[in-house]
Amino acid sequence: MTDLSHIRNFSIIAHIDHGKSTLSDRLIQVCGGLSDREMAEQVLDSMELERERGITIKAQSVTLHYDAADGRRYQLNFIDTPGHVDFSYEVSRSLYACEGALLVVDAGQGVEAQSVANCYTALDQGLEVVPVLNKMDLPQADPERVKLQIEEIIGIDASDAIPVSAKSGMGIDVLLEALIARIPPPTGDVDGPLQALIIDSWFDNYQGVVSLVRVTQGAIKKGDRVMARSIGKVHQVDQVGCFTPKQTPRDGLRAGEVGYVIAGIKDVRGAPVGDTLVLERSDAPALPGFEKVKPQVFAGLFPVNADDFEDFRDALEKLTLNDASLFYEPETSDALGFGFRCGFLGMLHMEIIQERLEREYDLDLITTAPSVVYEVLLKNQETIYIDNPSALPDPSRIEEIREPIVRANILVPQEHVGAVMTLCQERRGLQVDMQFLGGQVSLVYDLPMGEVVLDLFDRLKSATRGFASLEYGFDRFEAASVQRLDVLINGEPVDALALIVHKQNSAYKGRDLVEKMRELIPRQMYDVAIQAAVGSKIVARSNVKALRKDVTAKCYGGDVSRKRKLLEKQKAGKKRMKQVGRVEIPQEAFLAVLQVGK
Amino acid sequence: MSPPALPTAVYIHVPWCVRKCPYCDFNSHERGDDLPEAAYLRRILADLTWDLDHFGPPAAPITSLFFGGGTPSLLQPETIGAVIEGIADRLPLAPDCEITLEANPGTAEAGRFQGYRAAGVNRLSLGIQSFSARALEALGRIHDGEDGLRALALAKAAGFPRINLDLMHGLPGQTVAEGQRDIELALDAGVSHLSYYQLTIEPNTAFFRRPPTLPEESILERLEDRGRRLLEDAGFEPYEISAWARDGHYCRHNLTYWRFGDYYGLGPGAHGKLSRWDGAGGLQVMRTQRSRVPEHWLRGDGAPSAQTPVEGDALREECLLNVLRLREGIPFEAFEAHTGLPRACLDPEREAQVAAGLLREDRLAPTDQGLRFLNPLLAALSR
Repeated sequence: MTDLSHIRNFSIIAHIDHGKSTLSDRLIQVCGGLSDREMAEQVLDSMELERERGITIKAQSVTLHYDAADGRRYQLNFIDTPGHVDFSYEVSRSLYACEGALLVVDAGQGVEAQSVANCYTALDQGLEVVPVLNKMDLPQADPERVKLQIEEIIGIDASDAIPVSAKSGMGIDVLLEALIARIPPPTGDVDGPLQALIIDSWFDNYQGVVSLVRVTQGAIKKGDRVMARSIGKVHQVDQVGCFTPKQTPRDGLRAGEVGYVIAGIKDVRGAPVGDTLVLERSDAPALPGFEKVKPQVFAGLFPVNADDFEDFRDALEKLTLNDASLFYEPETSDALGFGFRCGFLGMLHMEIIQERLEREYDLDLITTAPSVVYEVLLKNQETIYIDNPSALPDPSRIEEIREPIVRANILVPQEHVGAVMTLCQERRGLQVDMQFLGGQVSLVYDLPMGEVVLDLFDRLKSATRGFASLEYGFDRFEAASVQRLDVLINGEPVDALALIVHKQNSAYKGRDLVEKMRELIPRQMYDVAIQAAVGSKIVARSNVKALRKDVTAKCYGGDVSRKRKLLEKQKAGKKRMKQVGRVEIPQEAFLAVLQVGK
Repeated sequence: MSPPALPTAVYIHVPWCVRKCPYCDFNSHERGDDLPEAAYLRRILADLTWDLDHFGPPAAPITSLFFGGGTPSLLQPETIGAVIEGIADRLPLAPDCEITLEANPGTAEAGRFQGYRAAGVNRLSLGIQSFSARALEALGRIHDGEDGLRALALAKAAGFPRINLDLMHGLPGQTVAEGQRDIELALDAGVSHLSYYQLTIEPNTAFFRRPPTLPEESILERLEDRGRRLLEDAGFEPYEISAWARDGHYCRHNLTYWRFGDYYGLGPGAHGKLSRWDGAGGLQVMRTQRSRVPEHWLRGDGAPSAQTPVEGDALREECLLNVLRLREGIPFEAFEAHTGLPRACLDPEREAQVAAGLLREDRLAPTDQGLRFLNPLLAALSR
């Protein structure tokens, strides 16, 4: 048995904006992972989108070497975690690779609901949680109040929470020493048969599939013949190593270590996240994987140009390797043609996927209004699940429709609690619990998922000047009085625009939706009639008046560049439009429902 | 294959204005009356010499010259005459070559009309815009309605066989009656060509930064309808989106652009288009552009600041951008001759637009509906 006592595997749990990225950068810098020159800001958030939005979407890892006060050199494996409510699944995956976690809390702002949820996950998985108070350099830092909050809300001892400022570098040495003292080293039999848990896999155009693994038993090295337990197909390992954060090949990875494996896997489904890598002909069993995540929001994605369908399918295939939570299956719409019904963890996830598809794969897509999954009991006692409003059977065949209910935990400062309760009530929420904890109020509500996933997070933030935080999970299906609202364009129902709405809201929603669509559909060659209908009953109507002409009066003589510029503008506008009948409908109109009630 | 001779024109840009108009997005620069006319003349001819040295002579005599601006009528008639002579020394001009000069109705310039006529200009284009003092003030023009009428009378007296008026509609505060009066005055004066276009607010203009209040849509609609009816009743024909002519007095120069012919572009910021058949029977189309800033251009040696080959889909699109502005469009054979592309490359987009009722089946031309909705039509035809 080899000594693993110099290894520490850890994650950072933090709310967005609480300074996780700055702290990560600081740790990398102190441990000499990169020279100052190489130190781009926030190196771990490497996806272009992550940088722009300032959030982490994908788990990343970095291996650092730290020379501690006891004279020993430690290997620190830091597995980064995403910080948005949509991506809690990725967080729990990262935590599987760790023995401990730093709970980073903004010493001015205090604890947020998302951190609470992630912290509970870490504690459930038996991790040692070390509280860290960040942003101690700011005048509004109030460490004593925040420590109290941590103890009251999360229930862990915060008396020895470590005060730091990732920005100024204050307290980083103390933090590193505490990390070594308090987080236990990994255990595992280096001489046993190989078992390595796949934490994350992604497709790299040059290297094929790269998998981030945590070796729990045995060792893996270049030349080994390995297989993913559930797949059973053997591949030869081309390279193993770790990220420092540069990709750095090593001789091998042993039990307790975290690193990457490249094994010439070309098939995007060859290394599923949560699976276990074992040696060829090994009878080592699979490690307990992760609970398969369930998408909560479904929407149709359709290429603007029908010719792009195959490219779209390839792009989705590649994305699902990076993102096991993305679900897709073919969908055919009368209005939009061939596309895919995709399932997402939440709205941010949906936006990110759409942006990645458009940016990284150069596709022009139309996304339809998102929907949650309804459980439908038919008259013949069969139960079906509907994630697409247009697939809802005829009312005469339906015994009962049940909507998904989530249990939501909301943390909010006392002065904003009224605004939150009003908002939850509007969303048909039912209060389950309310507790006052050191200036914060913890609210528990049961809410219809359809009222939560679209925009509750954003609305909460704006109603509380950014102070409320939200965490929720599916709880149960419950019978509900809902029905389908159809939208008709020039008298024809457009399947991609259908919605499932609460009966008491259908007239108001219909009116608001039709009005929003009138604003969003540009005037064109012909009149466009927009109607909302429940069954055969029209509940709202509006009209987009035809243009008299659409032509550039000036000719600009021999200067074609001007004419071209105008044409390019026109063409760019078309990219986000879909022709339905003879009407051009822009992307925004398909998502008009998101603006209803704003 | 014997390559057809493309009609070829010469455009000469005069970049200076007394004052820049708030709706103008052309390459014009304010400048006092100390214009460097001698240097200008030398440089224009240097531009032409460079083009001839690098692209060779035109396949057929030149059918038109066009002095555009800016305000060409700020130049002395002697300078204009010397430019025309200099061009005629270097290029064969067709016997009936159309020579147009754009002029402002301001009094100082109107006094030179006789001189321009004597120098060889045979078509005068007057930037009247409107005869209404109120509208002209809103447009920031330096002339008033009386100036316009006087300039028109002087132009006729100077003996120009063809006169064009630029008239705008949809001006700030304009009423239907005012719009009607503008047209009636133009018709009374006996002009044979009108550029009649709606005021649009373009980026990079003063109006874009401080938008004026334009008439509401129902007024705009009635203004245009009234204008069109008056012109049609007077025997005018809208042969292009904004161009009206009677008795076949089409602007030959603009027709060369619209039919996708060739042209030399001389002067600051001027654009040229020159085609050449290569040995393999293919057509090479080159766009040229000259330095925009007059001071830079004056220091140059005649070489364009940019030369851009146009080919494939871009060539197809540029041809469509131009020819579909014409009510009559062009025959398919002309498309092939002027682009070197097979007519089949227009499909399948063309067929779809024929089916949608925006394009004619028998030639490359818009229907009435297609002409009214040219922007979406062009977008649908391009790739």
